[in-house]
Amino acid sequence: MHKLKIEDLEKIRERARRATLLREGDSKAKIIVHMGTCGISAGARKIMNALLNIVEETEVKDVIVTTSGCAGLCSREPMVTVELKGEAPVKYVDLTEEKIHKIFSKHVLGGKIVTEYALAIGSEREP
Amino acid sequence: MAEDKKGSVLIVGGGIAGIQSSLDLANSGFKVYLVEKGPSIGGVMSQLDKTFPTNDCAMCILAPKLVGTGRHPNIELITNAEIEEVMGEAGNFTVAVKKKPRYVDEDKCTGCGACTENCPVKKMIYPLEEEPLPILKEKDIQKIRAIIKEHREEMGKLMPVLQHINKEYNYLPPDLLRHISKELDIPLVAIYQIATFYNAFHLEPRGKHIVTVCVGTACHVKGAPGLVEALQQELNINVGETTEDMSFTLETARCFGCCGLAPVITVNENVYGKLKREEIPKIIKHYKD
Amino acid sequence: MVCAGTACVSCGSLGIKKILEDEIQKQGLENEILVVTTGCNGFCGQGPIMAVQPDGIFYQKLTPKDIPHLVEEHFLKGRPVKRLMYIPPGEENPVPLISEIGFFQKQRLIALRNKGLIDPEKIDEYIARDGYRAMAKALTSMTPEEIIKEIKDSGLRGRGGAGFPTGRKWEFCRKTKGDAKYIVCNADEGDPGAYMDRSIIESDPHAVIEGMLIGAKAIGSNKGFVYIRSEYPLAIERLGTAIEQAREYGLLGKNIFDAGFDFDIEMKQGAGAFVCGEETSLIHSIEGITPEPSQRPPFPAQSGLWGKPTNINNVETWANVPRIILRGADWFASIGTEKSKGTKVFSLVGKINNTGLVEVPMGITLREIIYDIGGGIPGGKKFKAVQIGGPSGGVVPNALLDLPIDYERLTEVGAMMGSGGMVVMDEDTCMVDIAKYFLAFTNDESCGKCTSCREGSLAMLEILTRISEGKGKEGDIEFLEELGKAVKDASQCGLGQTLPNPVLSTIKHFRDEYEAHIKDKKCPAHTCKELISYYIDSDKCIGCGLCSKKCLVNAISGEKKKPHQIDKSKCIKCGVCYDSCKFEAVIVE
Ligand SMILES: Cc1cc2nc3c(=O)[nH]c(=O)nc-3n(C[C@H](O)[C@H](O)[C@H](O)COP(=O)(O)O)c2cc1C
Ligand code: FES
Repeated sequence: MHKLKIEDLEKIRERARRATLLREGDSKAKIIVHMGTCGISAGARKIMNALLNIVEETEVKDVIVTTSGCAGLCSREPMVTVELKGEAPVKYVDLTEEKIHKIFSKHVLGGKIVTEYALAIGSEREP
Repeated sequence: MAEDKKGSVLIVGGGIAGIQSSLDLANSGFKVYLVEKGPSIGGVMSQLDKTFPTNDCAMCILAPKLVGTGRHPNIELITNAEIEEVMGEAGNFTVAVKKKPRYVDEDKCTGCGACTENCPVKKMIYPLEEEPLPILKEKDIQKIRAIIKEHREEMGKLMPVLQHINKEYNYLPPDLLRHISKELDIPLVAIYQIATFYNAFHLEPRGKHIVTVCVGTACHVKGAPGLVEALQQELNINVGETTEDMSFTLETARCFGCCGLAPVITVNENVYGKLKREEIPKIIKHYKD
Repeated sequence: MVCAGTACVSCGSLGIKKILEDEIQKQGLENEILVVTTGCNGFCGQGPIMAVQPDGIFYQKLTPKDIPHLVEEHFLKGRPVKRLMYIPPGEENPVPLISEIGFFQKQRLIALRNKGLIDPEKIDEYIARDGYRAMAKALTSMTPEEIIKEIKDSGLRGRGGAGFPTGRKWEFCRKTKGDAKYIVCNADEGDPGAYMDRSIIESDPHAVIEGMLIGAKAIGSNKGFVYIRSEYPLAIERLGTAIEQAREYGLLGKNIFDAGFDFDIEMKQGAGAFVCGEETSLIHSIEGITPEPSQRPPFPAQSGLWGKPTNINNVETWANVPRIILRGADWFASIGTEKSKGTKVFSLVGKINNTGLVEVPMGITLREIIYDIGGGIPGGKKFKAVQIGGPSGGVVPNALLDLPIDYERLTEVGAMMGSGGMVVMDEDTCMVDIAKYFLAFTNDESCGKCTSCREGSLAMLEILTRISEGKGKEGDIEFLEELGKAVKDASQCGLGQTLPNPVLSTIKHFRDEYEAHIKDKKCPAHTCKELISYYIDSDKCIGCGLCSKKCLVNAISGEKKKPHQIDKSKCIKCGVCYDSCKFEAVIVE
């Protein structure tokens, strides 16, 4: 990779912003597993592996599984955020492998929020 | 102080015992010759932090005595010297003392220490007799060479080197440290100062499984002391010790940063959170098998 | 289209319109979205109402609070807010909005703004969220003096403990002459029970790097160090990846952005010593010599690493810098209180329902943090106190729940901002035990250089231990106070100067608890083992035998279905029986 110029920075910004916003990408859903130290100790790695397995088994191509840092609410870990194309993200808490199966089939594939496990909809904002 | 000198005494060895005897004898009027092999008096006590049984600060007791010995009109210090021969009988001895060369004019030197600091080869300015380096296994030598090579260019390289060794061996084998001292040209004391300062470094080998209880504040209020007690009972060792079969070492740490799960323990890399005292035996059993 | 029919106006639609316009402007969408008022829609029971065209979406029952969220989600990101849409009866959506949940609602994110949103191992995702724009601005269009002025005007103060104004520190270091200067990020989070620095590095490492780059430009340094605890392997790994990526993009290295400015960062690991968080000690640790603190002055800004001028800031301080540069000092200074600006991240832990990291504006009250964000105390217990600032801090009792939190107020009540650990304690936590705990910690971590700190902490610890064992004497409290003051005055570094705080503040606010230990030989919180005993209330015990099965030392005996007994000579007071009894028949006194 050659050195960035300021213009390149803008380009990356635009490109990456599109990718993260899901609006124009090809994927229909994004699942973020929150993997900070606390999340991992609470079992986030298991959830991540379970998710990857599900994606592989069901051969779904248009779902992105990605990681991110701690979401702040450590006592309710493991947490994931599910974001469907064109909808606000939903945070799920206190997950287990069974729960993630259900979330995947009902919410990610079926489009229906699993209300029993969901904590909240939306994302936080900077003041 | 008694003025009339009653005779003279020669004391061999300038440790705390020698110093105290010299002072007592000199104060009661004897002329004292204090002979010490090393370049300075003080002995082992000058290297101690505290003394048994009162836990008093060693230097606080020793320092005034050192000064007193050095300045006492009745005491003559003969350092860097050894006894060659003792002749005669009780009441009338003649002793031959061999002084080693100091390469410094003793009359002019004030002991300011500037020369040691400025010495370009960073060796102590007096010739120290070096103990031979311990013999290491070939693979250990390879390993430390590689480690040193990796960090040679870093600024402040001692820490990364020690950390690396600690990671490889699970502790800092003292024999290796002597080699490191030579290779990096850092005095062994400086290395020990670092090695004994940090909690992460150990000078003794540790067990196969490291059980660490978090005793951070959050874990403390949520019952970590009970876990420590239960583990001590279960493993039959105290914190900081290793079981005889070298399978478990029990340690405490302060906050793993997953206070949300308090109280927490880790065994090797695995974290167990929201733990109850009763669950301890099961966990330990898991690692025993 | 906002409805301006009579019914809707009467429930506030014009106010909604105004907020809507403001918000749209704030997001820079004024050219794309036109706000108009319309006549009555006939949906008067659900007012205020608005419709969005051409999407044809109806929003109902709007309140001013909903608008910012709605604008961002719908207009900016293009996803209609389902919760506010008109939903035909019978179909409901009970999952609350994030801004309705207390835990999230009161938080204001600056340092943690990217938490949980970006993948910390992908630099592009950081760049997508305005990453490195502040640096570009600082490198190409600002002079060092302008950067320093901006930081000074923002009122940013150090988040690592003492709260020294960051801008002034930078200026001080900038003005010191020297051929090389260093900057250091202090990530040796030693306070047990605080982990915000770890979390910032784990979830947003580039923010720290960008902050350091800006600081380096302001101070005139070409080399930075991050001193990080070795206990944080994940943070070390992620920061390492981030530094690599930044180097690949040329954001670290030579001639960054062709602005003629070089800068690189090296990571240094600690090895578990609390005192290494202290800046002079940290410097010695990086240099690889015994990390004992040294006398200040000279301050690190005059003579730091290898004798060169050095500027040290905390992780959170660095993470705030890019946002200040990008959004301006005024914006930052508009948050917080008069003397403490911006936000602070606290790690809310201990006896509280929602443990976690919270970023709140300065000046928020403890009550809001503990009850609104933290969700109160579990198990219906009573809140007793919160310990703030770790081993250097103190407790803030129940009575001061409405205290607005900033640097000065906390110091006034005998606590300290510290790094932001907040350990909540309920009625079962003994204050003598807490003081003892911290003293044991500081005694262990004292480097031993000054007698007052080394021996003073030991002496205080011995007295506290005595008190907790029921062997306290009249006059012990006064002696502790006197000793505490002496240690404060006579110690060289911050560790010794602050170590009596936990003791002095617990005495200040909970003197009666100390007295109960000394005079009545009782521990009101039932924590100090020597002062409590367990017995079984024979009226309540139904003889289920659960406790005797759980007892680790077989101290409980009794026939089935008959009241059991505890053999006090065997009992080790571990409390397992107390926790396991379903009938509250085990009594502790
Ligand atoms: C005993 C002691 C421990 C400290 N520990 C830390 C620490 O863990 N992290 C930290 O950032 N600052 C710590 N500090 C504060 C630092 O000395 C220094 O003030 C701080 O890093 C400056 O950064 P700031 O201006 O951004 O707050 C500690 C200070 C003392 C006296
Ligand atoms: S206090 Fe135990 S993990 Fe933080």
